[in-house]
Amino acid sequence: MTAAVVAETTGASPHPEPQEHSPKRKLTGYWLLLPGGLWLIVFFVLPLYSLVATSLYDPDGSVLQGYDMTWAFSNYWHALQDYWSPLVRSLVYGAVATFICLVLGYLLAYAIAFKSGRWKNLMLVLVIAPFFTSFLVRTLSWKLLLRDDGFIVNTLQFLHIVGADGRLLATPVAVIAGLVYNFLPFMVLPLFASIDKIDHRLIEASSDLYSRPAVGFFKVTWPLSLPGVVSGTLLTFIPAVGDYINAQLLGSPKQRMIGNVIQDLFTKANDYPAAGALSVILMLLILVMVLFYVRRAGTEDLL
Amino acid sequence: MVGRNTGSAGAGPSRRTFLKAGGVAAFGVGSLAVLPLFGSPSQVQDPAKCFADDLSSTQKKLVVSNWPAYIDPATKKQKNTLQDFEAATGVSVDYTDDVSDNAEFFAKVRNQLGGCEPIGRDLMVLTDWMAAKMIGLGWVQPIDADKVPNLHKNLIKPLQGRSWDKDRNFSAPWQSGLTGIAYNSKLIKGVGSFQELITKPELKGKITLLSEMRDTMAFMLKVVGADPDKFTDAEWEKAIEELHKAVRAGQVRAFTGNEYIQDLTAGNIVACEAWSGDVIQAQYDNPNIKFVVPEEGLSLWSDNMLVPNKATHEGNAEKWIDYYYEPEVAAKLAAWVNYICPVEGARDEMVKIDDTLVDNPLIFPSEEDLKNTFDFMVLDEKQSQKYEGEFSDVTGG
Amino acid sequence: MSQVAEAPTRSGVESYEGLRLRSLTKQFAAFTAVKSLDLDVPTGSFFALLGPSGCGKTTTLRMVAGLETPTSGTITLSGKDITWEKPYRRPVNTVFQNYALFPHLDIYENVAFGLRRRKSKEVDKAVREMLDLVELDTQARKKPAQLSGGQQQRVALARALINSPEVLLLDEPLGALDLKLRRAMQIEIKRIQTEVGLTFVHVTHDQEEAMTMADTIAVMNAGVIEQMGAPAELYDNPQTTFVANFLGQSNLIEGTVRGREGDVVKVDMQGTIASIPTERAHVSGTDGELGWVGIRPEKVLIAEVGESLDAPGSSIPGGVVSDVSFVGVSTQYLVRMPWGQEIQVFEQNTGRRRLFRQGESVDISWRPEYSFLLDHNQDATAGVDKEDAAS
Repeated sequence: MTAAVVAETTGASPHPEPQEHSPKRKLTGYWLLLPGGLWLIVFFVLPLYSLVATSLYDPDGSVLQGYDMTWAFSNYWHALQDYWSPLVRSLVYGAVATFICLVLGYLLAYAIAFKSGRWKNLMLVLVIAPFFTSFLVRTLSWKLLLRDDGFIVNTLQFLHIVGADGRLLATPVAVIAGLVYNFLPFMVLPLFASIDKIDHRLIEASSDLYSRPAVGFFKVTWPLSLPGVVSGTLLTFIPAVGDYINAQLLGSPKQRMIGNVIQDLFTKANDYPAAGALSVILMLLILVMVLFYVRRAGTEDLL
Repeated sequence: MVGRNTGSAGAGPSRRTFLKAGGVAAFGVGSLAVLPLFGSPSQVQDPAKCFADDLSSTQKKLVVSNWPAYIDPATKKQKNTLQDFEAATGVSVDYTDDVSDNAEFFAKVRNQLGGCEPIGRDLMVLTDWMAAKMIGLGWVQPIDADKVPNLHKNLIKPLQGRSWDKDRNFSAPWQSGLTGIAYNSKLIKGVGSFQELITKPELKGKITLLSEMRDTMAFMLKVVGADPDKFTDAEWEKAIEELHKAVRAGQVRAFTGNEYIQDLTAGNIVACEAWSGDVIQAQYDNPNIKFVVPEEGLSLWSDNMLVPNKATHEGNAEKWIDYYYEPEVAAKLAAWVNYICPVEGARDEMVKIDDTLVDNPLIFPSEEDLKNTFDFMVLDEKQSQKYEGEFSDVTGG
Repeated sequence: MSQVAEAPTRSGVESYEGLRLRSLTKQFAAFTAVKSLDLDVPTGSFFALLGPSGCGKTTTLRMVAGLETPTSGTITLSGKDITWEKPYRRPVNTVFQNYALFPHLDIYENVAFGLRRRKSKEVDKAVREMLDLVELDTQARKKPAQLSGGQQQRVALARALINSPEVLLLDEPLGALDLKLRRAMQIEIKRIQTEVGLTFVHVTHDQEEAMTMADTIAVMNAGVIEQMGAPAELYDNPQTTFVANFLGQSNLIEGTVRGREGDVVKVDMQGTIASIPTERAHVSGTDGELGWVGIRPEKVLIAEVGESLDAPGSSIPGGVVSDVSFVGVSTQYLVRMPWGQEIQVFEQNTGRRRLFRQGESVDISWRPEYSFLLDHNQDATAGVDKEDAAS
């Protein structure tokens, strides 16, 4: 019997493809690439070049007299010098918000996937329900919720969690809470997709094999949900770091994030080189962090 | 996400790997080589050269871009001024409220106007400084004075002779407003001056300022004893340092656009720098909101109708401008938008519409009220970049 | 085996060295999956729970594993009440229906899983030995998805066995395999069970599988055990129509009891008097009572009309062959009897006699000690069509 099984796995038939078919088939692949490739070149690669070129513009240029691409790498140095603090702040806020999203989102996704039964679809709709209103309106409504005389602040004051004249708005707490709220669905959906796929019998099997629930979770459920964790954290972290709405509406000048700085540099100060340099820095930073993270998480090795 | 070397093992650093590395290198060098092509030429245009043929005589059309909630709405019972205009002239108007921020709008149209291409609009409404900037860049078509007699006849005096468009050759104010201080009288007794607003300890963390650099810095310059209409770099430094001090001390809770008004009514803040129109509208719901003229004076500004280069219905745009400078139309509009009406004679027409508004100094201010107003010096490109940059650094904490 | 079958009637108080279920009941919202089940599984036995899908056998197994909580009743193992014990504390392991191998762990780690959770010292040695036992020592570092179905099945077995559970539960372990592999695995699992000497409780809907592997079979139907015993005993002497039909095939002919005579019960079967041994008559035996006379098709003899048969017994004349299927080792006839019923007859192709053709008149007969008498209140078609029900 064993022999039969082995033959089944190793018996790859050396069946060469007919020669005359293969070049044609290869070409088909390239033709299929063409529309998407063109789209990417026109709407991604060219703007990216333009952005990189902008970041290297002569800083003495202006809209009035135009800009020359003078390889002004000093733009980067100056941008970092001037704006390292909002940059670091953005990364910290993004990381904290992502972590909170992960904890909340995991509980939520787990509950929806395993415990919601026939309410599953409704719960999923509820998760994405905030998307039915605009980002701006949602965030503005948080101002109302967190207002200094609102019930949340009053409750926290009553519980002595914040001081008598303490507040939530215009604090890092409000900005991070806003980020968590706005990006939670980006965490929940991939997590749900991953957790929902987990065969419940695997959890039963772990319990049958002497794992108490907590151990079973960390040995089976968690590793099997890692693809969702990785994509969820990326989908949350990347936009959260670049977000400027939450900091603008829920924060004060002390919570300004790099997105606000870039926006102001582009639209208000019209300092395109600095804005471009900051954008490229942010992009590279995130890219490096993502590569590092994906390698560490070892998603390639999963399943 | 990460490219994984799937090349067959055994061949070592194969020809394929080599080709790959070569490809990446070539791509990199190629990319560097094309970067200089992405330079940006001067964006200055000459309106005398960059214009489109006026099709007004054949196409009864007009495309207008304005700020949100800036025109009287049509109801079932009553037509609004826009519909009246359409009925009177036969021009059909495509009205969009897609201007929510001067700088954002600039960013949106910069590439087209800078490259002498049409932006698909015949009329756009922008605030003084942005209007000045665009006129300076040569992006705005002159308005034929003969076609808009009402404008030149009825424009109120304080808005005449502005330094950036002395004879209103390029711009016509749509509405005007005052920048001053608003406070919630339920929470505090009052605020007398801007100086007080940014230093009084009781107000710490309970005030907001406007994120428009010119609005806020005009007052800061006044606070340090300079004239916003004419100031030096040294005075600017002093003013910005003063603001920085207030921000560092935690006096200022936020720099905002229109949203300050919700914070004020919600009680999150007790006082703020404010625009007159917002205050009037908030007063309908909350009578505790008050507007005060600070000791430093008032800043008078307006949002201006401009005809961008390459607009194809300039003639219709001029009809529109002239129409809105008829006092009774202006009064009808002012009765709804509650900003300062830039049209002389509208006040008399207002008596017929809503006489409670006639004596409202925030809609029809007297000459006396406007005596102490100031404007912000016209900045050149470099100054603007420097000052905006420094301002946003300060507001960015 | 007979004392096992009787055990449920005794009280469950005294200590018992095997797995013992008492009044075990499981109710889901609207229906009762398992109805007051009593069962004793002796230590070291290979025990099969056989029944069609939905009969409650898997639910019973899951209650033993602790994956389902009983509505009432008790489960004891070696005298210890484990009814409410958490699954991870029971000395019981399961081979799941679709194996439920951990896809993120390699074969080695799958097998080592239970030992690692129990902080066992000798993990490596035990895993090596176990992989040897199931002949997968060369696949240790592969992921489950890289293995064939039969290999995965053996991993699942190894993963459970390595923990030396007091009872190993197998939930339709071969259901996903093709027929040939299934037959091979049946023998393999039986070999392993003999080798390790553990108690195996095997749930299946496949009667052939149950008979091949188990030394005791409990036939379950609609939440209760219909009959329990050694495979041959169940087959030869079914006590209910369900068992008679589900385990193999049976001809059930209506008859009327005509009283006892010594150790046989006389039954008037459509005019022919048949004598059925008392221990095979599962009716009260009062005169005039209706019953089902059962006979397995291979026990029925077929002959030319008037030919004398070498097996004296209940010979019934007047049959007409209505269908013939030649299947090589045997020929299967359907014989229409004078009262309209079709009787199945399997005849070995010994070559000593010619085949009958459709439409020919024949006599049939069987030895009375092979027949059995069943309660007429039971549905004569219970347990038929099991192939459909199983899939």
